[in-house]
Formats: sequence, C-alpha cells, structure tokens
Amino acid sequence: MSARTDVANHEGTRERAARATTSLKTVTTRTQGARLAKVGGVVVLTGLIAGCAKNAPQDTFQPRGTNAERINDLALPVFYIAGVVGVIVLGVIAWTVMRYRDRGQPIPVQTHGKPALEIALTILPALILIGVAIPTVGTVMALNDTDDTECVVNVTGQQWWWEFDYPVQDGCMPGGITEPIVTSGQMAIPVDTNVLIRGTSRDVIHSFWIPRLNGKRDMVPGRVHNLRMQANEPGLYAGQCAEFCGLSHANMRMEVAALTQDGFNRWAANQLEAYESPVEGTVAADGESAFVTNCSSCHQVNGLEAADGNPIISRPDVGVYPGAAPNLTNLMTRTDFAGASWSLLREECRKEVWEAEPDQFTDRYLEGVTDDCFNEVDLREWLRNAPAKKPMYADPTKLAETGGLYRGMPYLALSEDQIDLLLAYLLERK
Amino acid sequence: MFTTGSKFLIGASAVALLATVIYGVGQDGVLGTIGLASATVGLMALTALNAILRDSNVFLDDDAPVENTAAAQPAPTGSVWPFGFASGAVVVAVGLVSYQPVVVIGVVVLLATGAEWTVHAWAERASSDGVHNAKVRSRLSNPLEYPIGGAVALGIIIYGFSRIILSLGKTNTTVAFFVAATVVVVVGFMIASRPKLGSAAVGSVMAVGAIAVVAAGTVTGIRGERDIAEFETTTIWQEEALLHPEEYAAGAAEGKHPAGLICESPEEFPEADERASETVGMKSGTYQVLLSESGTLDFDPPGEKEAGAVGMVIPRSSTTNVIFRNDSDEHRRLSLDLGRPYTVTDYESEIGNLDESAPPTQICTTLIEPGGAQLLTFKAGEPSFAYESIPNPNGPPGADGFWFFVPGVDTAKLELIVP
Repeated sequence: MSARTDVANHEGTRERAARATTSLKTVTTRTQGARLAKVGGVVVLTGLIAGCAKNAPQDTFQPRGTNAERINDLALPVFYIAGVVGVIVLGVIAWTVMRYRDRGQPIPVQTHGKPALEIALTILPALILIGVAIPTVGTVMALNDTDDTECVVNVTGQQWWWEFDYPVQDGCMPGGITEPIVTSGQMAIPVDTNVLIRGTSRDVIHSFWIPRLNGKRDMVPGRVHNLRMQANEPGLYAGQCAEFCGLSHANMRMEVAALTQDGFNRWAANQLEAYESPVEGTVAADGESAFVTNCSSCHQVNGLEAADGNPIISRPDVGVYPGAAPNLTNLMTRTDFAGASWSLLREECRKEVWEAEPDQFTDRYLEGVTDDCFNEVDLREWLRNAPAKKPMYADPTKLAETGGLYRGMPYLALSEDQIDLLLAYLLERK
Repeated sequence: MFTTGSKFLIGASAVALLATVIYGVGQDGVLGTIGLASATVGLMALTALNAILRDSNVFLDDDAPVENTAAAQPAPTGSVWPFGFASGAVVVAVGLVSYQPVVVIGVVVLLATGAEWTVHAWAERASSDGVHNAKVRSRLSNPLEYPIGGAVALGIIIYGFSRIILSLGKTNTTVAFFVAATVVVVVGFMIASRPKLGSAAVGSVMAVGAIAVVAAGTVTGIRGERDIAEFETTTIWQEEALLHPEEYAAGAAEGKHPAGLICESPEEFPEADERASETVGMKSGTYQVLLSESGTLDFDPPGEKEAGAVGMVIPRSSTTNVIFRNDSDEHRRLSLDLGRPYTVTDYESEIGNLDESAPPTQICTTLIEPGGAQLLTFKAGEPSFAYESIPNPNGPPGADGFWFFVPGVDTAKLELIVP
C-alpha cells in the first residue's frame, strides 16, 4: 500500500469519525430534547391540574354574581388575546434565536430602520390595546355604577377583622332595617339584590375582596369607597384582605352569606331581637358575670346591663389601637370568629354549611351554632391565649409605639373555670 | 552629604533631645526624664552609627542597577486624599466636643478619603508607569466613585433647591418651579439641538447651574424657612372656653371674642374664622353635610344614599371626614355635639355613670361663607345608643344621642348614628 493510499484511508477514517461524532451529537441532542419535552410536559400538566381544584372558594374564575361575571367576561377574552400574543412573540423570539444563533458566520450587513415594519408593529399593538380598552372601560364604569343598589352595608376594616353594620334604611328587606345592625366576619346579604358597600378602615389600608362576587376595593382610613355586590344564589362566599396590612394579614378573612330574601328577613329580625340574659343559676348566667368582668371593656353585647340597670358600653378605644373590637351580641349566628379564621362549627357541621345546596343553604346557615355543632376547641384555645393562636401586637412590653394600646386581642390570663363560664355564655349569643 | 534617611534620624534626635531637655527642666529630674534621656541617647547612637556606616545611602553598597532601587522609583504623585483624611479627623474631633451627627459626618469623610488614599497609594506601586497606574486606580475606583459621587452631588443640589423653595412664599414657589422647569427644558433643547457641542461646554453649563443652586440654597438655608402663620383653630377656642372659663369670660367681656362656645355660636371669632374655606383637603370619598337655603341639614354619602335614612351612620372609632357645604345666604358653621363624656375611666365603676353636667364633646368648622365648603374630621369612640338617656340640647327638642347642628339656624339638625 502506497503512502498516498495510506493518507487517503486515513482521511476517510477521519471523515467517518467526524460523521459518527456529528451523528452522536445529533442523537444526544434529540435525547436531551425529548427529556426536556417530557419535563416541560409534566410541568405544564401539573399546572393545568393544579388549576382544576374543585374546592376553590376564592376562585375568581367561578363567578356567582353579576359583577364578578362582568369581570370574568372581560378577563377571559383579554387573557386569551394576551396568551395568543405571548405565544406568538415567544415563538418568534425562539425561532430567531435558533435560526440566527452564532455559528461562526460573518456578521451580516447592518441596516438602519424599516419604516413599514416599524409602523405596522406600532399600529398592531395599538389596535389590540384599543380593542381591549373599550370593553375594559365599559366594564369599569359598569362596576362603579351604584344607582341600582337596594341595600346599604357599611364595611370597616381593622387589623385583623372586618366589621359590617347595616344602617337604618328602607332597603335590604320589605319594611327595611329599623335599627342599626352590627356584626363581624360574616356579612349577610339577600340574594339577587344589589348591595352597596360603603367601605373604610380604622387603621391602615385594607382591601375588601370576595373573588366570586366582585373585584377588590381598597379601604382607606378617612375615606369611603364604594363597591357593589350581588350574589346569584344562596351560599357562603369566602374572601380575603387583599392589601398587606401587617402581622396577621393572612388571617384577615371574611365571608359573605347570601341568603334568600325570606332568610335574610329572618336573619335581620334575629339580630334585632332584644337581649335576653341567661337563666339565673345556670353556668351561662355566671358566664355573663365573667364576660362583664373580663370582656365587656372591649366587646360590645347590645342589651347587656349592669346591676343598676344601665347599659354596659364597651370602650375598646381605651385599650385597642384601632379603637374597636368585634360586637359579640349574636356571635353564634355566624359560623366563624377571629377574622373568620377559625370555625365555630365542628368540621362535619362546617362542611354541611359550606357544601349545602343553594336551596338548602339558608335554612342550614340560619341554624347558627347549635350545641351539637359547637367547635369548642378553637374558641377555648382563643380565650386561653389569643396571641398564641393568631399573631398580633399583644405583648404588653412592646407597645411603646401605640401608647400602650394593643393591636388585636391580648393574653387575658383566664383560668379554665373562667373559660368554661365564658363558653357557656357565648354559646347563648344567638 | 547626608542622605535623606540620615537627615530624618538627625532631625528626630534633635527633637528628642530638645523634648528631653524641656521635659527634664519642667519635671525637675523625675524618673520619666531619665527614661526619656535614655531613649534619646539610644536614638542619637543609632543616628551616629547610621551616619558613620552610611547605611541609609542606597547608592553606597548597592550593586544593582540604579533604576531598580527603591529610591529610583518615581516620586509619589500629588494627592488630595491625605488632606481629606486629615480634615475628616478634625471633623471627628470637633464632633466629639459638639454634636454627635458631626462625628458621623467625620467618620464618613475618614472612611471615604481613607479608602481613596489606600487605593491611590496601592495603584502607585502597581508599576513604574504612572499612566498605567492611573488606569489601574480608575478601573478600581471609578465604578464606585461615579455613582456615589453623582448621588451625593444630586442630593446636595436637591437639598439646596428645597431650601430655596422653603424660603419662598406660596406664589413664589410656584414661580420658582415654573422657572426651574423652563430652564431645564430650554437648556436641554439647546444642548440637544447642537450635537457638536463639546462636553466641556456642557459640563461648564451644568456646573454653573449646580453651583448657582447650591449657593442660593446655602444663602436661603441660612436665612431660614418662610414664616408659616399658625392660626387658632375652632378646637383651641372650644377647649379654651371649657378649660379656662374665667379667663374666657374675661376675654369676652373685653370684647376680644364673642361669649359662649364657638361651636354653639353663629358669630365670627378672631383668627379661627378669618380663613374659612382654605383648608378643604378632600373632595371625594367623603360624606357631605349640606345646609340648604331653607335652613335644613341633609347628608350625601359617597354612592347612593339609603332610602329612608333617619340620620347619617358611621362606624365607631373610625376617623370620618365630612365636607360641610353652606348653601345658605349667611356665614355658617357646622357643629357636631357628641354628648357629655363619662367622668370616670375605671370600667367597672364607669358603667352607667354619666355626668349630665359635664361639658359637651363638640367639634365644629369655621364660619363658612355662602356657597363655601369646609372639612370636618372627627371620630366617635362610643356608640350613640350609649347616650340614649342623655338629652342633647343641640338636637331637636327632647332628642338624645349625637347631633350635627348649625348655630343660629334652629331648623338645621341632623342625627349622627354610631352603632
């Protein structure tokens, strides 16, 4: 074999080796691509599955009120348009990156400007934005319209719970509301009624949000902001403060109980019923005394009277920085407490309420907290040491900034006997 | 004849000897003088030894080429940092005997100039090429010097401008902002329209502007802020009447002000009522209380007003803003009577103990001209039903609870309900 043949053979071997290397690289790239595709597929699938939660009480994509439906009808098409635009843009970027990636090729001739393309790329997004803006502005204006409201509720945010008071008015129910009603944590409204919420705050900015009934509205100290709310069918609708408001922001929850009109009438009538003291000699009667001694300085129970017959008026502004504490007159007509963070119902009863069919919900809700369903555990823990259950500024040694005033409920050092008495008394607040 | 090192040692020996003599004479031969004299003798011996052996002469026994010796290296370039460092030390010293913030400023100067000095000295030893050394220094320092220096310079300019604004009156402030904005736009336009303008020219213009602002800021800062008049408010008059009734009555008798509580008076009080309608800070998101031409009071909440409302309902302990609009033909004020307060603070003994003779809790606006508006801010810490049994003389006959009213207009009553 000549030297020339040797050289040719050697070069041929090198070419084959190079081809084999290229082939191997291609296979490796394909394998990596397939692996990436699998991982990406799993991620996308996981995301999709996570978005299909059946029990999602704060899902804005499951609207149950006219206002929430308006938002949903706007958000979905915009989301689709934005999604298509996003896919196109990302696709073009990916294609450009792959197609023109650096392979050592010479830098192409640089040009400046492409007027036709630039004008087109300006006009197209402008048209899309105009297309989105028209229904957006229309929806915003429709959501802000309060002309058709038939029932007014004042909503006040405070670290870290919500208060609802119903002013005297002809609306809300036949015959109207004849005396102010104050409650907290859960706002009852008549179904299929446009409710006007007048919101404000006692301390910092909060945001009222019941995702399935309407969008968010900031509640600002010193200002009154309106929000219209309406529920299509009876049920409990969960919400959450949507503006970070301090230590227990995550525990500042609220719920709207949408009741049939008849059910709302019964609810309101019950709220306005005169206070009845516990029967003398019972544990609850002793509990009333314990309440007066330990709780009434901050918590109002309408109708509660001192021994001399004068009404007992709470003064939470003396001990609590925002100046108020939940009114407990009808505590057991709502199903949770402490910023709607803990249930007053045992789990099975709570499920019955939350999962009740719309036509059965009102009656079940109006049963309130019965003796059988009373979740004593959480309320007992709360009374035993509230700051241990919910983060609050309740350390008496660290209140210099608020002049000695608490934010939230302090530790009261109640004995177990006192707690027993209080539980018996509170269980009668229906 | 003598090398630099030898000169240093000779000088040090002379100073030490002089110090020893002075100390010795001053202290009259104590033990310290002996120690100091011993040290001085030792130093002088070293100096003599050095001078004899010429140990500090780098040329004497050095076989290496002259350019490699330390003495042959380029002399250190001029530097401002030692001066800055020394200035920082002085500022710290001054701060230690005056104000703590001055110490902080001195420490900052010390740290900044010390760091710069260190980098400068280090860079000078990078090589024997001065140009290269300067580049080394710039590469290390500039990324920090430019942003920090820029921020500090900008801060000084902004602070200077703020001093100017604070010294001007309300109208002049508006003019100053207008002038400043105009100058910025015009100069910007001129610079942009001449792309070939040199950086030196642009920098000079900027420097002149900055110096002008800082100089003006310094002058106005020394002169102090403008006088902001503090007028007596209706609250001050109300408190004065309740807390010092005798002095208040004496003032009224002398004709200095009307008699009676300002919140119950339709008359004009000096100062408090002179500047009506100048403090309305909110125009939306509040309740409005309207005094009609016919002399009735009504309220207008944000959004729809509830049908059948018997009074204005606000949450308890919530700061509430109300805009009072006077649609009558007279100057009027809006007053709010929140009843008579409790007289004791202990909870258990407080229950039911209302003192009907106690002074009322009232708040009111200034006198508002016809067609004018004024903001009233208040908070009700107690529910109105707590005062159910307490007559409110400023409500309709026989009324209790909380009431808005307009002094001098008997028909203008509006209940405030706090649930």
